[in-house]
Amino acid sequence: MLDDELLKWQFRRGSPDALARIYEKYLDSMLTLAMGLLNNPAEAEDVVHDVFVGFARLANGFVLHGSLAGYLATSVVNRVRDRIRKDRRRTAWLNSPSAASAEPTEPGQVVIHDEEAGRLNDAMADLPYDQREVIVLRLKSDMRFAEIAKIQGVPISTVQARYRYGLNKLRAGLNGEVDR
Amino acid sequence: MSSAKKLEETIREKLRFTASPGLRERLRVSVLRAQTCTSRAPRNLEAPAVRIRIARGPRARLASAAAVIGVAVLCAVIWSRWSPPAYAIEQTVEALENVRFMHLTWHDDSSRVREERWIEIGMDGRQVCYRQYRPPDLLVIEDGRSTAVCRHDKTTVVIYDRKDRQYQWIGDLGQALENLRQKGRIIGPREERDGRYVCRVLWPYVGGECDIDTRTKLPIAMGGAEISYEPPPAGTFDLVVPVGYAIVDKRPGRITGPEPPWVQDEAEADRRFDQATHALAHGDCAEAASLFESVVAYQPDRNWAWFWLGAAYYKLGRHELAIERFNTLAEMYGGHPYAYCNYARALAYAQLGIQEQAQADSQVCLPWMVFALREPSATTMFDYAEDPLLRYSGRWPSERDAVSHMIDRLRMLTGQSFGYDPDGMDREKADAIAAWEHWLESDGRIHFTPDAAPTGLRAVTDPENR
Repeated sequence: MLDDELLKWQFRRGSPDALARIYEKYLDSMLTLAMGLLNNPAEAEDVVHDVFVGFARLANGFVLHGSLAGYLATSVVNRVRDRIRKDRRRTAWLNSPSAASAEPTEPGQVVIHDEEAGRLNDAMADLPYDQREVIVLRLKSDMRFAEIAKIQGVPISTVQARYRYGLNKLRAGLNGEVDR
Repeated sequence: MSSAKKLEETIREKLRFTASPGLRERLRVSVLRAQTCTSRAPRNLEAPAVRIRIARGPRARLASAAAVIGVAVLCAVIWSRWSPPAYAIEQTVEALENVRFMHLTWHDDSSRVREERWIEIGMDGRQVCYRQYRPPDLLVIEDGRSTAVCRHDKTTVVIYDRKDRQYQWIGDLGQALENLRQKGRIIGPREERDGRYVCRVLWPYVGGECDIDTRTKLPIAMGGAEISYEPPPAGTFDLVVPVGYAIVDKRPGRITGPEPPWVQDEAEADRRFDQATHALAHGDCAEAASLFESVVAYQPDRNWAWFWLGAAYYKLGRHELAIERFNTLAEMYGGHPYAYCNYARALAYAQLGIQEQAQADSQVCLPWMVFALREPSATTMFDYAEDPLLRYSGRWPSERDAVSHMIDRLRMLTGQSFGYDPDGMDREKADAIAAWEHWLESDGRIHFTPDAAPTGLRAVTDPENR
């Protein structure tokens, strides 16, 4: 945490080294977050690219009082939502169980993951977007329900319900694989 | 461990994606380049040295620790109370979606209210009720069904059916918000103003910038207007006809006495306005100027009539008159006209060889024009300013044409050219746009040559080719 504060301070003063360290530190976690939300390596790459490039451009006027990880995660979520809104058809795709996992990762891919992560993410893609967002933010970004509620603009109880329903569906979707 | 817990643990541990070395390097280069493009020279990167004096005695140590904790708590309280919260445009969109009332006020130089508007927004994001008061004479009230125009100078109230006459600040708030969500951009650092932290945001749909209160996430200033969101006083949207005022009811099926001459004059002014816009669009600038002059004589608050009157004079080569008319329009906006007006006036000044004024206007409009190269929706007002018939035809330029037209305007005003070819490769177009941006940041001086732009404002003569 203190390390992040120092990085923020140095980044604000235009240090390329600080930016490089922030980038190295958070690239994979942001990529995981974007993949969890989009289940599409190309789109996830675009989102992460936009988030970090946008972040890099903030350097001089950058003032952040919260956590760096939270800020970047929120940026990823906002970018993903922008993409979804930009193309309404995409919403249907994202929420369509039949199409959600229709784009498998390919050999020679730019995003590396093991088989289990791919299977988990495919199962996640079957969830409605709001539930998926809650689960990913909660479990992969360690956000509190209150923080997620703020991002989603809904009461905490709604977020908790989305989380619960999402996990139940996910468990059913994985056919007890996790319990084995 | 329960299956739910096990699933949570599995997701935490197993759901991991890693960037390949190629992607990692590619992104790293982009990110560092983005920082290099925007950053200024790095300052002292060493952490500030802190001189710490450690007390030696146990009591002194305890007291020091207590003091440090006290100060830390105090700082935390002050920090949480006074530090500006993080801001993202998305939050403004969400905040505006929940707004029911808007209160806009414009002030003149002596802080008197120049105009005041109240707007009630319905669940569908459209204006439901509206009140506009422009002292001393004009009061407009829309109650959702009718539009009442109260003219104190004529001691008359004219009532129209709402579909025949509407006053709107933003027609479709939903569309405006979507534009803000997708195209809005934070363009200024957060700064403190009147005890509030504000962020400046570019909002292409409204054709300008607005200041966002980072605490409420709502715009508090836009285009010279101050904006607040409190419910209006009771009766704000009720029309009470003052004693002794005549009523002219123009709603269908209503029978009233003969219309006063000034009402007929207003109708005539509307008709002439339409004729004038057609004349201007078809290149008959003398006819357009004559008609617009008669319109502004009746309706001196008609902003577009003033602008197109100036445009008509410009095309006729009467640049001094054009500047006068553009100045009138600028005064209507409290001295801060929209960018399309600065652009037109800059051209007129440049034609007269008044470089200083031309440069001053250019400094206002050029950032907006260059921004529009990447965000074509920002060209809307420029396109409309050049083609008054767009409101009728609805044939707005495609994004490709919008950018191409904006490049033409930039070339005309600045005398610069960076090889933009609308039919070229995307990379070449991006390079040309980057060259414009670089030129604006590094120089921004215009080198106008009258011979290169004999008519200046782009003439539109063939509606089919618009």
